[in-house]
Amino acid sequence: MTRPSRVVTRPPVSVVTALAILLAVAVAAAFAPWLVPDATGQDLMLGISGPGPGHPLGTDDLGRDVLELLVAGARTAVPGALCVAAGSMLIGNLVGLPAGYLGGWADALAMRWADLMFSLPALLVAIVVAGVLGGGYGLAIAVLVVLFAPTDTRVVRGAVLEQRHRPYVEAARLKNLSAWRIMTRHVWPNIAPVALANAFLNFAYALVSLASLSFLGLGVPAGSPDWGRTLSDNRTQLLANPWAVIAPGLAIIATAAALNIVGDWLYERVDRRGRTR
Amino acid sequence: MGIAVEGLTVRQPATGRTLLSGVTFEVAPGESVAIVGESGSGKSLTVRAMLGLLPRGLEAAGTVRIAGERVDDDPRARARQRGGVVSLLMQDPFTLLNPLRGVGRQIADGLPRGADAKAEVPRLLAEVGLPADVAGRYPFQLSGGMRQRVGLAAALAGGPSVLVADEPTTALDATTQREVLALVRRVQRERHMAFVLITHDLRLAFSTCDRVMVMYAGRLMEAGGAAAVRREQLHPYTRALLAAEPPADRRLAVIPAVAGSVPAHDAVADRCAFADRCALAVAECRDGVPELRAVRDEPGAPAGVPAVRDEPGAPADVSAVRGESSAPAVRDARLSACLRATELPAPPAPEPGVAPALPVTADPVLRVRDLRRTFAGARRPALDGVSLSVAPGEVVGVVGESGSGKTTLARCVAGLERPDAGTILLGGADCSDYGRMGRGAVRQARRTAQMIFQDPYSTLNPARTVGAALGEALWADGRPAAPDDVARLLESVGLGRDMAGMRPAGLSGGERQRVAIARAVAGEPRLLICDEPVSALDVSVQAQILGLLAELRERLSMAMLFITHDLAVVRQIADRIYVLESGRCVETGPAEQVLDAPTHPYTRALLASVPDGSSGWLA
Amino acid sequence: MFLLRRLAGTAVVVALLSIGVFCLLYLAPGSVQQTLLGTRPATPETIAAIQARYHLNDPLPVQYLSWLGGVLRGDLGTSIRTGMPVADMLGQRLPLTLALTGYGTVLAVLVGIPLGVAGALRRGRAADRLVVTAGVVGLSAPPFAVGLLLLVVFAAGLGWFPVYGVGEGFADQVLHLTLPAVALAVGAVGMLVRFSRAALIRELDQDYVVFARARGLGAPAVLGYALRNSLVPILTAAGLIVTGMLAGTVLVEVTFALPGLGSLLVDSVTFKDVPVVQALALLLTLLIAAVNLLVDVGYSAADPRVRLGGRPS
Repeated sequence: MTRPSRVVTRPPVSVVTALAILLAVAVAAAFAPWLVPDATGQDLMLGISGPGPGHPLGTDDLGRDVLELLVAGARTAVPGALCVAAGSMLIGNLVGLPAGYLGGWADALAMRWADLMFSLPALLVAIVVAGVLGGGYGLAIAVLVVLFAPTDTRVVRGAVLEQRHRPYVEAARLKNLSAWRIMTRHVWPNIAPVALANAFLNFAYALVSLASLSFLGLGVPAGSPDWGRTLSDNRTQLLANPWAVIAPGLAIIATAAALNIVGDWLYERVDRRGRTR
Repeated sequence: MGIAVEGLTVRQPATGRTLLSGVTFEVAPGESVAIVGESGSGKSLTVRAMLGLLPRGLEAAGTVRIAGERVDDDPRARARQRGGVVSLLMQDPFTLLNPLRGVGRQIADGLPRGADAKAEVPRLLAEVGLPADVAGRYPFQLSGGMRQRVGLAAALAGGPSVLVADEPTTALDATTQREVLALVRRVQRERHMAFVLITHDLRLAFSTCDRVMVMYAGRLMEAGGAAAVRREQLHPYTRALLAAEPPADRRLAVIPAVAGSVPAHDAVADRCAFADRCALAVAECRDGVPELRAVRDEPGAPAGVPAVRDEPGAPADVSAVRGESSAPAVRDARLSACLRATELPAPPAPEPGVAPALPVTADPVLRVRDLRRTFAGARRPALDGVSLSVAPGEVVGVVGESGSGKTTLARCVAGLERPDAGTILLGGADCSDYGRMGRGAVRQARRTAQMIFQDPYSTLNPARTVGAALGEALWADGRPAAPDDVARLLESVGLGRDMAGMRPAGLSGGERQRVAIARAVAGEPRLLICDEPVSALDVSVQAQILGLLAELRERLSMAMLFITHDLAVVRQIADRIYVLESGRCVETGPAEQVLDAPTHPYTRALLASVPDGSSGWLA
Repeated sequence: MFLLRRLAGTAVVVALLSIGVFCLLYLAPGSVQQTLLGTRPATPETIAAIQARYHLNDPLPVQYLSWLGGVLRGDLGTSIRTGMPVADMLGQRLPLTLALTGYGTVLAVLVGIPLGVAGALRRGRAADRLVVTAGVVGLSAPPFAVGLLLLVVFAAGLGWFPVYGVGEGFADQVLHLTLPAVALAVGAVGMLVRFSRAALIRELDQDYVVFARARGLGAPAVLGYALRNSLVPILTAAGLIVTGMLAGTVLVEVTFALPGLGSLLVDSVTFKDVPVVQALALLLTLLIAAVNLLVDVGYSAADPRVRLGGRPS
């Protein structure tokens, strides 16, 4: 049948909005020390107050400016999640690529491991492990990397399996190219977009998970400017200054949603390319 | 009654593209019409638009009357007509049935309100030649041919007076194809339905239908009675299309192929769509779009139709095709969209056959002995003791239907699959198990044998340019990969050197297959394994690729193991033939002996299922 | 046969997991003994008493086996923190958690699937884009953030719902659990919207749908085909949703200060209340395994190819 050619479109409004949000968050995370050098400065005399002049979103019970805390919070919330997404993507590629391409018992073993990890709710395991081992930001990141890597491995391996029996890979085998060269030069460029899209989705999930751990007191120490931690610290102040709760809550949701939207959009593009090829 | 389509146009509003335009035709009750074209001709879109089933994002304009009722502007009339008046049989029997619903219930779903499913479903199944107990099964429990029969029963459930079949047998094996087509035609005659068949195969159309319409780049090029068009084509494109289809009964010295491929409708919107590829084109052919018009009256055509109307821009002469006579007689009114239809030279006489190359007696480049392979979970072996040999420079055809083991054989020889038992000798070296061979032996085997694949869309790495792919192939074969070598390689397969910078997404199917061939022959292998290399291509491109393979064989004195299901194709290229059935070789010998005087019943059945263009083929 | 294999697999997972938790608890910094001592003076006598009582001197495998033996006899041990039998503690808190997840699941299914179906049917239009975006936001929102926002708006702001507590009597309990259940359901709604929309769109694009339309089946019948067939991929989401909910209850119970299994887990984990953590891990794993098993049963009911041994294509 005749295939109508692909409609070339600009990214939709939601993706543009999401990219704008991510840009703002990235700027906040990168330049927080210069933008809000005194974010954690307390003003116990002022105490908690609603929005007003000088404090657009009010202050918390320690008299800290909620808006400044929000900007400073990006610096804790984002890099950790980025580490988790990047780390698990790295492991996923390093394990998933050879597992999918070479197969064999190593592949079977890796997949049983991934199945086991996959059947557990990552966040629940992270709560138990981080709680028992005493919590802490670095530990939380490490635990999440270990828990997220199986997903990446599965995604990468699945994508490799889809490519492995394509004639172009077999033709490369017939040219007597080494397995390493075929994996890195032929297969990987075709699955990299999938891995990248998946990393965005992981990024979002890591952000939420880290915020959850901090909320439970298993991530950053109390009083640190982190969105999840601020939410937890301020939840008793619902009535006095609702913005102290609303602002970090919305920041988490908006950032995670933006990451998910971009990730979905990347996936869709890969998928569409796959169909029109 | 029947179908009347006038000025049908399909557009894609999002891109502003027009995909087909000005399609006008009629089909009378009891009449069968084939719409023939290569991919990109718009034949499927034509019927989809006619039935109001266009894919998302496409819009149709023009008038469509079905059974006397105008439906193009009335979705409710369309909905009312579906099933009861007009029904569609689709291409792929493996996807057209709901996978999770019992066959009987699916057929019953289409019955008219109030019909007795307990009586009707077995009756419909019997009509399509299936036992009643099939009703209790699920689609995945049936073979492709049975599924297509169930599809036909489901399409007939509402008692339609118009049946449209979109390539209903393309996904089936040749022998099944003939059975299903014969069944569809018998049912159509018995029920006196108007019948439209979409196909890419001109000979199949001649054999199956009363009338034939040829489409190209979204336009109708020629229409007329099947026998008349078969006898004499009044459009150069129809001639080229027919000439490019290789005959099964003789071997041609060269298959006539037109260079290039089907253009997009909009690329040729202001001229004859075929002019750029036409040897007979004159300046006027590019001045405007030639209308489809009656070229000559033949006996049986309605009287009073002007033979040729020369006013520019005159509407297509619909009255010439209108089924004014109530009898479903074949009307021989000949329509052509060629300006020079009346002055075309007489069609050339059929090319005489030539003899294949003489047998070679040198030591074989490939010797396979008693090869066996059973896949895990399969009920019977894919290869059940196959032996064959290929002499240097010889082309050996391996013919069989799906499940015959022919592809497994090719993959075992190439080392992509490990046989369970048996030996494979490549250039005298044992290559039965690549896992147990040394590095040097593997390299030697890879240099001896290379392979090309069926699907042109996945045969090239989408992430790499043509130049990078060929450069790597040269490098892997231990040849210098200077830019000039890549360019020479491209030229050796008939491609321009500027193609090196392109990625596969920008190439047509034929161009991709040429690149794949260039990659395979970069190291000048002694044996080229071809796994259905032309079966995914249009006939005109198929002819080009077959020509290229023949030429490379001469120049590189390369042997080939040519896997195909198509006896007409294998006739054109193979010196010797092996016929495979269910993993066993049932017949072997020189090509002309196997194809002209087959001894095994299976070979004879295969030969009988090749459409020869005669109307007696389905009988 | 299929189910037997699944059961065996589940047993292996449960066993591995309990061993893992056991090892983890004993590898943790600060010995269990230290926790058990609490504020009591660390005299040799008290230490010896504790070691004897909790068999801390036995090698790890022996300790594990004795715990396992207890579990198989129905004895989950006593809590270090409260001194109560673990089984009683779980029994007290289980109903709330089950009610919360049940309520949340019902809300999620009632909202998520219709939204996803509506999006698929209006594919590409404004309503669909809205549904998709809402789904992604729901998917991205952690339950505690949603919970707190809900509290700000509906409890503190509008005063429609109580801020904390469980309530008395059925109606009051439902009222008290509504905000927590909504907070819990938001993520599941997002997931269901995504899965059901994608599944239905995929089915609607299939040839059999075009064929069904072409041979005159009415719109409801065609939609019935597609909905029925998209059930299989939606079932896949069910397992993910339930595991997500179990993780979510922890956050929601902490946010709303509800005495359920989740808040018990957080308290016990930070206190290193070994018997309670062990029992909770076992219980949660069993719950997840049970759901996955149900999903598998659902598969074979929904797909004849699984039931009759065909190859799902």
